[in-house]
Amino acid sequence: MAITEKQRILAAARKQAVDKLPFGARIDVWYNYHSGHDTLPDKYRGWNIPDILRDQGAGIELRHSNIWKVEYRNTEVAVREDPPFTTTEYRTPKGTVSVKTMFTPQEGPWIPYELELPLKSADDYPVIEYLLENTVLVSYLDDYLKKVETVGEDGIVICSAPEYSPMQEIMRKIMGYEMFFYELNDHPSKVEHLYELMKGLVWQKLKILAESPVELPMVCGNWSDDIHTPVFRKYFVPWLQEVGEFLHSKGKLTLVHIDGEMKRLIPMFLETGIDVAEAWSPAPMTSVTTAELRKAWGDKVTIWGGVPAILFEPQYSDEEFDAYVKHLLQEIAPGYNFIVGMGDNLAFDGKIERVGRIAELIDKYARLPIEI
Amino acid sequence: MAGSMFSYSTLIQAVVTGNYIKSVELVNEALKEGVSPQDIVSLGLQAGMRTVGDKFSAGDFFVPEMLLAARAVTKATEVLQPLLSTSDMPTTLGRVVIGTVFGDIHDIGKNLVTMFLRGAGFEVFDLGMNIPADSFVKAVKEHNPDILGLSALLTTTMSSMGDTLKALEVAELRSRVKVIVGGAPVTQHFAEHIGADGYGADGGSAIRLCRNLVGK
Repeated sequence: MAITEKQRILAAARKQAVDKLPFGARIDVWYNYHSGHDTLPDKYRGWNIPDILRDQGAGIELRHSNIWKVEYRNTEVAVREDPPFTTTEYRTPKGTVSVKTMFTPQEGPWIPYELELPLKSADDYPVIEYLLENTVLVSYLDDYLKKVETVGEDGIVICSAPEYSPMQEIMRKIMGYEMFFYELNDHPSKVEHLYELMKGLVWQKLKILAESPVELPMVCGNWSDDIHTPVFRKYFVPWLQEVGEFLHSKGKLTLVHIDGEMKRLIPMFLETGIDVAEAWSPAPMTSVTTAELRKAWGDKVTIWGGVPAILFEPQYSDEEFDAYVKHLLQEIAPGYNFIVGMGDNLAFDGKIERVGRIAELIDKYARLPIEI
Repeated sequence: MAGSMFSYSTLIQAVVTGNYIKSVELVNEALKEGVSPQDIVSLGLQAGMRTVGDKFSAGDFFVPEMLLAARAVTKATEVLQPLLSTSDMPTTLGRVVIGTVFGDIHDIGKNLVTMFLRGAGFEVFDLGMNIPADSFVKAVKEHNPDILGLSALLTTTMSSMGDTLKALEVAELRSRVKVIVGGAPVTQHFAEHIGADGYGADGGSAIRLCRNLVGK
């Protein structure tokens, strides 16, 4: 019986040999943008992402955010909608903090953008500490399972669970990068205390994940070496090691999303024990080539990505695109421990037919071992 | 100031270590000793930021150190501002208008570059995010900057950079201002493709790029 694309992706993630280079394409930014603007190509109007990717002959990478629902003890959550803005107040016995987000379906990512984060001054620490201590997560798999059914054996659903390491959660969702580094400098003990509480919350997520059918969870990502290197050694490496050991003991693999600049994180990354580095975005979008990354990591990490988003745009000709993909195949030959994908998505003006072109080039040149 | 015992190296060190409390103390001390505000800025604060920028370029410093140093300079400059505003001496390296382009509501990178440029001695007018091309044109007319900085995080909004350049051409302002671009999906190739004058991969290179463009 022929191996499916899902089996190929999972086998490559486990460092097992496969017959052909796996391909997991991600096009949600392109799809959401054109759905929001009613500009999907005529052929694809009314189609969903998996069916479009099947039509292109590509493997599917679909994303899912949470496999839990959030409940807060002794806290009133008040939501005020003022489209496109949403303000959420968390009223606790220790005080109130608020988060303001902006969401517009015209933007491809379909992710609420955080305009205001909960920590606005040192006065907010007690409230946020209370919130973290009184947040309860309850397993909720229905939406994830529906996506898994939609994708079937033609690809895989990557579940952002827990999505970020505890310190990355604090940096991104509690105070933002600028304030984080001021606070770490000015009030280190407060940040450390928050870190300990956040670890407790993230462990709740990991325990739900451990009991779930999720095969390939995203456990951290969205970093950049100029921002993260100083904290990566102290707070990310040991955490990712701990998470890896736990999830491996539960039969899970681990994946991180690495679409930022990686140059100075590459050596440290090897210490994390992470199985898959997804959304690999090589030069020209970052300063590192795929050949350099392969040389640094050898066969210790499965790399997923390799075709930067910008290559799908009209400024690059079809010939340049083909040349880039063929060069990529040469860089990764013989091709084991690699999953072709985009770094990190198909942009709104990216050419969808180039997704299909990758599938054609893989069929033509990337039976393993690659000898191009 | 000739004859002053003030130690610029101590002020430079306060900036390099990101110690804003010390930098403010030292600026007040320098003023008491009669050091001119212009010398404090150029020989102390800007010299400190140059050291920080060099360390960033060499890979010894990262964004956090740059942020803390920029804050130290900003706080120290607040002390000097009343004195500088009454002086005829130029105290900035140049004038920059910056913003995230239309359709893009991401500003982390733009904010970092703004802080770094201010710390390095540029006067920066931050327009914010989701800025239409017409608003950039209006700001160039109003502020007459040496440099216009355009930021985008999304591949979906990079095309707004090209639209802004075209709007400057139409308004016959293109030759009056250097345009630089940056942001996660932006590359040197893209910058050349749309006809920008420069591309910065990060905050450190943005400082070098701007200094080169204004010849300082």
